[in-house]
Amino acid sequence: MATTSMQRPDMSLTDGAAIRLRDIRKSFGSIEVLKGVSLDIAPQEVVCIIGPSGSGKSTLLKCINLLQPPSSGTIIVNGVELTAPKADVNKARSTVGMVFQHFNLFPHVDILQNVAMALTTVKRMPKREAERIARMQLERLELGALIHKRPADISGGQQQRVAIARALAMEPEVMLFDEATSALDPELVKGVLDVMKELAHSGMTMVVVTHEMGFAREVADRVVFMDDGVIAEQGVAREVLTAPRSPRLQEFLSQVL
Amino acid sequence: MDAFIHTFFDIGEMLKVFPTLLTEGLKNTLFIAVLAALLGLVIGMVLAMMLLSRSWFLKFPARLYVDIFRGLPAILTISLVGLGLPAADIRPFGRSPIGYAVLAVALISAAYCAEIFRSGIQSVNDGQMQAGRSLGMTYLQTMRKIVVPQGVRNVLPALTNRFIIDIKESSLVYLLGLTVGQRELYFIAHQQQAISYNSSALVAAGICYLMMTVPLTYLVNAWDRRLREGRRSLKLKPATRLSEV
Repeated sequence: MATTSMQRPDMSLTDGAAIRLRDIRKSFGSIEVLKGVSLDIAPQEVVCIIGPSGSGKSTLLKCINLLQPPSSGTIIVNGVELTAPKADVNKARSTVGMVFQHFNLFPHVDILQNVAMALTTVKRMPKREAERIARMQLERLELGALIHKRPADISGGQQQRVAIARALAMEPEVMLFDEATSALDPELVKGVLDVMKELAHSGMTMVVVTHEMGFAREVADRVVFMDDGVIAEQGVAREVLTAPRSPRLQEFLSQVL
Repeated sequence: MDAFIHTFFDIGEMLKVFPTLLTEGLKNTLFIAVLAALLGLVIGMVLAMMLLSRSWFLKFPARLYVDIFRGLPAILTISLVGLGLPAADIRPFGRSPIGYAVLAVALISAAYCAEIFRSGIQSVNDGQMQAGRSLGMTYLQTMRKIVVPQGVRNVLPALTNRFIIDIKESSLVYLLGLTVGQRELYFIAHQQQAISYNSSALVAAGICYLMMTVPLTYLVNAWDRRLREGRRSLKLKPATRLSEV
């Protein structure tokens, strides 16, 4: 049992939580960016992580799918302990979608292939089936007209929505958003936020690192405020954002709102 | 002045060698250069992956190889491989010098290609690797499908430059003693010059080399310009994050 539990989802590991982080620490050289972060995220919960630059929020997000392996601590996603020595990290990652600040679309292939590529390589789908799913996913996000264009030929907002489609095509159980609207021109932000809202309402488990306080207030079930590598305050979105308890969060909110 | 023209531009001398240059020399020069370049690309790509590896056991041998073969004069490597190996009873290509010639030029080319590929792959934004890995693709899948294709595109001009050098270096294999039918451009001209004491044959061979290398040079420049323009239009718009203003 001990050997199979690493591969097979075992939700009892986390008392039903979709994501469980326990005492996550991460250092780059002598600088400790995460100083012991623990966080449970329930299925279908939408958690927004806010905080000043350099507070470790993006690093924490990238720890969840091990793009940044933590220096120590335990990560359990969908019942699989990713920090176990023999965990199948690639398989686990395919169930965790990620959207990046700079979109990170693949510039050398068209939009359709951007979405279909992981389906053929990771899920070993036949090309035709992968393209059918990619097309469907793109049409759902109203990007059907763009499938034969290259990323460089569409707007930033469209690129980010393609990136969301690319992640959704893998049918993830969790979606991670790393400042998904920070690199967009102001007029393009709303389109991306709308897609994220819709996704939240559809019941997707989401962890969203964001500077969009309006989005956090409206969509998040919970807001986590990070400061200097630790969770400084967290709670129900409306309460945390309107009546912050810690002086640091009060100061932070007075600067961004 | 007459002596100068007679020595370098004697039309009669040139016409004497041109047919052999075109039917035998050009063919063999291209055979050696193309085969060596292809082999160099394959070995170079493997070396580049080793250079980029985090494992010391892969990185160190590749580094050693690249440093040695980039640091040696081409003529020395060609002598070591073409004269040395058969003398040491290592004869994968029998007694024909062509195989050794291709191998020698390929080994040199591989060292340069390795560095070209490495820099090309490293020039690809780290976000591409992160995006591939976040979708569940393995390191090698992400390299093969996403990073390497972009990296190679960035270094196509540099690789073509290396091919031009392969063409020129293929002339050095003359010292392996080529027989009739195997002779490349330089060796044919060299033999004719030794007979007639007239350098016009060498000029004729030079013209043949230039017919290949000059168009390639212009191709490289055009390519380079296009890539640089393409990159400019791909540039990201600056972030508009109010909280950081």
